[in-house]
Amino acid sequence: MVEIKYVPSICPYCGTGCGINFVVKDGKIVGVEPWKRHPVNEGKVCPKGNFGYQFINHPDRLTTPLIKEDGEFREATWDEALDLVANKLKEVSDEDPNKVGFYACARSPNENIYITQKLARAACGTQNVDHCARICHGPTVAGLANAFGSGASTNGYDSIEEADYIFCIGSNNMEAHPLFGRKIIRAIKNGAKLVVADPRYTPTAKLAHTYLQFKTGTDVALMNGMMKIIIENDLQDDEFIANRTKGFDELKETVMKYDLEKVAEITEADPALIEEIALDYAKAENAAIVYSLGITEHSHGADNVMSTANMAMLTGNLGKIGAGVNPLRGQNNVQGACDMGALPSDYVGYQKVVDEEATKKFSEAYQMDLPTTPGLTLVEMMNAAHAGDLKVLYIHGEDPVLSDADIKHTKESLANLEMLVVQELFMTDTAACADVVLPAAGWGEQYGTFTSGERRVQWLRKAQEPPKGAMLDWKIMEEIAVRMGRPRELFHYESAAEIWEEIRELAPLYYGITHERLLTPEGAHWPCLDPEDPCEPLMHVDKFAHPDGLGIFHALEHLGPVEVPDEEYPLLLTTTRVLFHYHAAMTRRCETLDNEVKTGFIEINTEDAKELGILNEEVVKASSRRGEIEITARVTDDIKKGIVNIPMHFSECAANMLTNSDSFDPKCKMVELKACAIKVEKL
Amino acid sequence: MVEVNDMFYACSANDEIANAGEYGGAVTTIMKYLLEEGIVDAVVAVEKSWDLYDAKPILITKPEDVIKSAGSLHCGTLNLAKFVSKYLDGARDMKIAVTCKPCDAMTLRELMKKGKVIEDNVIMIGVNCGGTMPPVPTIKMIKDVYGMDPNDVVKEEIAKGKLIMETKDGEEKGISIEELEEDGMGRRENCQRCIMNIPTNADLALGNWGVIGPLTGKATFVEVCSEKGAEILGKVVDAGLVKTEAPIEKGIEIRAKIDGIMVKQAMKQREVDFAGTSGDILEVFAEYKEEFSRCMKCYGCREACPLCYCDDCCLEAEGPEWVPGGYTPAAPFFHLTRMVHMVDACTNCGQCSEVCPCEIPVAKVWATVNNKVRDVFGYYSGVDNDVPLPFTEFGKKSYQ
Repeated sequence: MVEIKYVPSICPYCGTGCGINFVVKDGKIVGVEPWKRHPVNEGKVCPKGNFGYQFINHPDRLTTPLIKEDGEFREATWDEALDLVANKLKEVSDEDPNKVGFYACARSPNENIYITQKLARAACGTQNVDHCARICHGPTVAGLANAFGSGASTNGYDSIEEADYIFCIGSNNMEAHPLFGRKIIRAIKNGAKLVVADPRYTPTAKLAHTYLQFKTGTDVALMNGMMKIIIENDLQDDEFIANRTKGFDELKETVMKYDLEKVAEITEADPALIEEIALDYAKAENAAIVYSLGITEHSHGADNVMSTANMAMLTGNLGKIGAGVNPLRGQNNVQGACDMGALPSDYVGYQKVVDEEATKKFSEAYQMDLPTTPGLTLVEMMNAAHAGDLKVLYIHGEDPVLSDADIKHTKESLANLEMLVVQELFMTDTAACADVVLPAAGWGEQYGTFTSGERRVQWLRKAQEPPKGAMLDWKIMEEIAVRMGRPRELFHYESAAEIWEEIRELAPLYYGITHERLLTPEGAHWPCLDPEDPCEPLMHVDKFAHPDGLGIFHALEHLGPVEVPDEEYPLLLTTTRVLFHYHAAMTRRCETLDNEVKTGFIEINTEDAKELGILNEEVVKASSRRGEIEITARVTDDIKKGIVNIPMHFSECAANMLTNSDSFDPKCKMVELKACAIKVEKL
Repeated sequence: MVEVNDMFYACSANDEIANAGEYGGAVTTIMKYLLEEGIVDAVVAVEKSWDLYDAKPILITKPEDVIKSAGSLHCGTLNLAKFVSKYLDGARDMKIAVTCKPCDAMTLRELMKKGKVIEDNVIMIGVNCGGTMPPVPTIKMIKDVYGMDPNDVVKEEIAKGKLIMETKDGEEKGISIEELEEDGMGRRENCQRCIMNIPTNADLALGNWGVIGPLTGKATFVEVCSEKGAEILGKVVDAGLVKTEAPIEKGIEIRAKIDGIMVKQAMKQREVDFAGTSGDILEVFAEYKEEFSRCMKCYGCREACPLCYCDDCCLEAEGPEWVPGGYTPAAPFFHLTRMVHMVDACTNCGQCSEVCPCEIPVAKVWATVNNKVRDVFGYYSGVDNDVPLPFTEFGKKSYQ
């Protein structure tokens, strides 16, 4: 007789943190059904939620460790592979811990991420550990921490339903965070006004009352211009500014230079609309800002983020429901990956590496003398590999070949390593470059926690056994640490829940989130210092998280993209995601999602296409100073003239063959994934 | 001897079950008997998952596990017919008994007609339903409107026009359901227009309405609706597992009156819901065009709709591309296609609206058209077992 059970879990795609029920038939996941009791999405999901499970039992799953010899992979035993990795890590980190580096997996549960950073710190003695937030919401972590003292969303996601006015910039949430998009739809039904500023007329823009089309990379100028209008009309919140902030005079001095005429010229946006939006935002009782990677993935990403913080402080739109600065975190657990200390500058719970006390605490806990100098960021590790300064890179479930800027540069860097270790579910583009590939257990096959973009920590349940041959990430890493000569008790855990206990003990921010609380459908939001703390998601109610409790205005100038279009490369490329895909290794192996969008395309404005003689669905050549690809054109009026867009999921026509890795944000080491100069030609 | 159309008061002869089940535990006892005797291979019911507000389907194969499904969950907004067709292959290779709300029973009937559920293999044990409530809004309502801690609530009940919450300390609070619903709370919107409260289209219809006198709260009312139902009830009674007695005449009247009041309310709601169009497909589509224009093509409505069961769905066909892949909002054809495929059989079960991330009132749209189908073809989905499905077959000619 057939056995069927429902196992509640959390979706592994975007940072919204939706609940689902796995349907498990005779021990195998066969479907997903609504979990209507889940507080975030009430049983509703997007296409990825409905079909994103289909990769789990895909025949392409890795089930044997692989070792590369003479350029070819051969199957290996676990013992052989683990010994090889452990010996190399030990050899190189004994020589110089700065020569090894780790990428943690922002799709993986917190417990795996925590162990990845622990392997780096407690087994190798290096601070070189980072993850893809660096090229995603790194500017949010840095920018909002500068402004408010905490680098996370100021409000819970439900808050948006009570907004009167929503200024959405650089977020196409109807595709990228669809169940947050639903909350915006509900806000509109409740009477909110939605404004979307984007170079593309996106499905989100189509919901808006007002759509402001503007040029990629001119966000600071736009918001400075808006703030000038607000101040000129005396609509700033003087009381809030006086009592809760500092740095207003400097801000004012800077923004007053941004005349509407000048701003309209920089942004190529309609000045009347800019003025209207500025006035309406300031006049609204509760005005919320929503943003995402459209403003962060720039060489001035942190400045863009701080501009949103400036706007919210200027108008007193913080510390209350319906307002705030609401970044929509990308990956399902990219918030958690930051929280867990997979950052070269922070231990778990944002305890700083540069803080001697904190480093002493972790040196003791990890039985390893750790330096107080932050390690290398993700992009710096890749550059160090390129320069020959990094010898071993251990990648836990990331695919930088596809997702980092400039694929040629990434591949050269990886080839230059003495050893690349990749722990994965599938043979990704990055795994193909590895010397050792370790097959890991995936979503649905383990317990643990994800932390969504609203800081909600949620419990994942195991629904089926991993495929035979694959191992849990934290167990793989335990074995490596032990083989490196580290005491087993330092890395041994009976369960994911036991790892969470260690996280609680070491990080006051999560101390209040007990395992019992995690089991509830609500989970719990951090900061949560005490098990009795109700952990309401709203932050900064009476004071900001800086030591003096004040928010800080930052006076920022418009810089614009590093690489601008010229005669040779006349179009400005932006990169995006589509609704039906995420991490391509997973979603492209989901039949229904793959069937929906099988490959990439380049969106080009109808007029630009006409000038180039390009027809819809024609295969064209797109090239930049870094490389070239062949890709199908999607001719549309829904993108600004002069701007083109390529979704980033598809390696056969990869956007990142064209993007520019030589374009750092000095504040957070972001590279400019969303702006570079390219040309498009007929084949 | 039990016969079709008979009515009884019934309760379990087993004290443990009588106490665990609601109103005497007759449903639990019948299900347990069917498994014990091997009359069915499995029972499909609803189980409490995390708490009172979290319901999930359960496939029970051991008689001792039937008790897990005892009691009712007003937030159990599932449609078990979908579970039967999607995960049990329509009971093709097994015999099952299903606890059915009226909409589960209606949908099973539709699927039987379409050959997607095998009638001979399914026993439908119907339970009365005055409507179900969406879990998350209900939790919020209990906090904000009732001023109670949702974790303390042990029972919710709809009685005398009120939605009553009872806490573990015995505190009770009732609020007029009409008032709640005017403010957008209470039952699901499809339930508010539902006119099928007593599942007479199942094999047996059970529920506490009409139980008065000394057995109040201790027994349930049973109406025998089919030969299959008569046989089963006869067997459990003969086995001494369920005790029955004749219902009090006044009780029968009260049961009919409660049903009548609820139908009347629902008819009022239908007038509101269906106002604005004649129910004609084109008119309805034009009326809701803007709502449909938000569709993010999640396929959630298709996945949740018990009447969408094709292995190869034409909405995903590679060509000709009526609904081009990868574009959102989905082309209008997406919903028009689905409408033509299911609307004559739509049972207003509400699953589609519940899962829609774009807040499109799909269930209301289909109910509007389905109502017109009933006007034009005289077909009442899920209830008229002998009338052919209007979009599926022409039916026999009359030679009189």
